[in-house]
Amino acid sequence: MGLLRYTLWRLVQSIPVLIGIITITFFLANQIPGDPVEIMLGPSPAQEQVEAIQARYGLDRPAHERYLTYLSGVASGDLGQSIYYDRPVLEMILLRLPVTLYLTVSAFMFAIATAIPLGVISAKRRNKPADHVSRIVSLVGVSTPSFWIGLMLIIVFAFYLGWFPARGLPLPWEAPADIRGAETQLQVIRTSLHHLAMPMVALGTLQMAQITRIERSSMVESLQGEYVKLARAYGVPESTIVRKHAFQVAQLPVITIIGLGLSTALGGAVLTETVFEIQGMGRLIITAINNQDYELIMGTTFMFGVAFVVGVIITDVAYAYIDPRVAYGDE
Amino acid sequence: MATGSESQTDDLSTRDEESGAGEIEARVGLRYTLKQVKRDTTARIGIYTVGFVTLVALLAAIDYYLFDYAVAEAVWYSPVRDPDQVNRLLPPVGMENQFGAGAIEHPMGTDHRGRDVFVRLFYGTRIAITVGFMATGIGLIGGTLIGSVSGYYGGWIDDLLQRVTETVYAIPFLVLVIAFMTAFGRDLTFAMIGVGITSIPVFNRLIRSRVVSIREEDYIEAARAAGVKDRNIIFRHVIPNSFAPVLVQATLQIGVSILIVAGLSFLGFGAQPPTPSWGQMLSASRNYMLPAPTFSLFPGIAILITVIGFNILGDGLQDALDPRINN
Repeated sequence: MGLLRYTLWRLVQSIPVLIGIITITFFLANQIPGDPVEIMLGPSPAQEQVEAIQARYGLDRPAHERYLTYLSGVASGDLGQSIYYDRPVLEMILLRLPVTLYLTVSAFMFAIATAIPLGVISAKRRNKPADHVSRIVSLVGVSTPSFWIGLMLIIVFAFYLGWFPARGLPLPWEAPADIRGAETQLQVIRTSLHHLAMPMVALGTLQMAQITRIERSSMVESLQGEYVKLARAYGVPESTIVRKHAFQVAQLPVITIIGLGLSTALGGAVLTETVFEIQGMGRLIITAINNQDYELIMGTTFMFGVAFVVGVIITDVAYAYIDPRVAYGDE
Repeated sequence: MATGSESQTDDLSTRDEESGAGEIEARVGLRYTLKQVKRDTTARIGIYTVGFVTLVALLAAIDYYLFDYAVAEAVWYSPVRDPDQVNRLLPPVGMENQFGAGAIEHPMGTDHRGRDVFVRLFYGTRIAITVGFMATGIGLIGGTLIGSVSGYYGGWIDDLLQRVTETVYAIPFLVLVIAFMTAFGRDLTFAMIGVGITSIPVFNRLIRSRVVSIREEDYIEAARAAGVKDRNIIFRHVIPNSFAPVLVQATLQIGVSILIVAGLSFLGFGAQPPTPSWGQMLSASRNYMLPAPTFSLFPGIAILITVIGFNILGDGLQDALDPRINN
C-alpha cells in the first residue's frame, strides 16, 4: 500500500467512528432536560405557535425517526438549524471553526518549536543541570491548568506591562476594514499575531511539556541504539550523530503524542477561548448549551469530533511518511 | 538514581530465588510497591505531597460532613458563610490594594464576597481530591472490565468494545463531559462520572494490551486446561499481573482528572456555589483580575501543587516498578 492508498484507507476507516460520534451526540442531546420551544417562545405560548415550531424543527416526531433524519442530514452536509442564532448550524460552525483551528494549530507550533530543542538538549546532557531544568519545566507544564496560565498571562502582560491585548483574536486574513486601527493586510496580520501570543502560550504549554518528555525519553533511547554506537566507533562527531542519526528515528513517538494531544488541545481551546473571550468553537458550544440550542450542541460536538479524527489521520499519515513500514504493512 | 534502582532489582531477584517465589509474583502487590517507592527520592516527595493534600481533604471532609463547617467557624472563618460583603477583595498579608491593607486575619486575602481565601482553599481540597480519586476509580474499573474482557476473549466482542471506546475517545474529552453534564446534570457527581467515563479508554487500552500478551502465557494455558472458569482466570491471574502499569497510570490520571474538573468548574460545570472549589474560585476571580490580582493566584497554585504531587508520585512509581527504565 502506498502513502496515498494508506491515507484513503484511514479516511474510510474513520466513517464508523464519525457515525458513532453522531450517535453519542444525538443520544446526549436527546437527554437534555427542558423544552426548547419554551425557551424560544416564553413560558406560555399559543398552541398554534408551539405546533408550528415543533413541526419546523421536527420535534413532534419520535426519537429514532429524528435520529435517521439527522444522520442523513449530516451525510448531505446539513447540520440543522440553530434556534438561538436563527441560522444554519453549519454556517455558524464555518464562521467559528477557523478561529479555533488557528489557535490550536499555533499552540501546537509553539509547543513543537520549544519542546523539541528542550527535549534534545535534555537527552544530550542527561542528568546535568540543563536536563534538570528542562524536566522541571515539563513537570510544571503538565501540572498547570491552562486557563490559570491564561489568567496569569493576562494579569502580568496585559494589565501590568500592557504588552499584549487581553481579549479577542482577529484572523490574519480578515479584511483591514473590519479591524480597528488596521489599514493594510500586513497590519491585520500583525494585530492578529499580537492577539495570538498569549492564548497560544496558554493553550500550548501542556502540549509543550508532554512533547518535551517524550522527545527526551525517545532521544535517550535512540542515542543508545546500535547504529549510534557504530557511528561513534567510526569517529562521527557527536553533534552529527544527534542531528543525522538519532533525531529522525526519535520523532516517531513524538508524532504519536501530538496525535493524542489533539483531544486535550481541542478541549483546552474551550477554556482558552473563555479566558481570552475569543469567539471560536469553544464559545459557540458554551453558548449553545446555555441556550439549550439542541442542533447547535449536536453540530458543535460533532465538529469537535471531526476535527480530532482529521487531526489523528494527519498525524498517522505523517507517521507513515517517516516510517514507511506502517503504510506498507499488512493492514 | 540510575545505579540505585539497578541494585534494587538485583537485590530483589536474589531474594526471589532464595524464597523460591516466581519472578512475576514478587513484583506485584502493595508491599513490594511501597518498598520500592520508599527508596526513590522523587517518589518520596510525591508521596509526601499527595499524603499532605489528602490529609487536608480528609480534615475538610470530616468538618463538612459531620459538623457542617462548625470547626472551621470556631477555629478560623466559615468557608461558605457570606459576611455581607465587608472586607471584600483584601490583598494577602503585607500587601495593599484599593480595598485596604492585608492583615494576618486573612493571610491570603479575601474573595469578592469577603470570605477568607485561605479557608476556602483548604476546604476546596476536599472537592479536588474526591473528584480525582472517584473519577479515576470509575475509569479504572470501567477500563479494566472492558479491556480485560476484550483482550481475553478477542474476536467480535473485542472488535465491538474497542470500536465503542475509540468513538468515546474521538470526542475531545472536555467537550464530551460538557455535553454529558448538559444532558444529565451540572453538579459535581456528574462531573466525576463524566470525567471517569472519558478516562475509560486510557485504562482499557493499557489493560487490553497486557491481557493480550498474558493470555498466551503458560500458566494461563495451564489454568484453562485445569478447568478454571474464564472469570476466575481474568480476576485472579490476568488483572493482578497488570497491577504495576495500572497503578502508575491511575496516579497520573488522578492529576489529569483534577485538572479537567477544575476546568469544568471554571466554566460553571461542577461544584455549585457556595461550596468552595478551586476552579470555581478562579472563575469568580476573573472579574477582579485588575483590582485584586492575588485572588487569581492562590487557587491556581493549590491546583499546581496537588497535580505536581500526583505526577511526581506517578513518575516515581514508574521508575520504581519498571526495572527497564533507569533514568
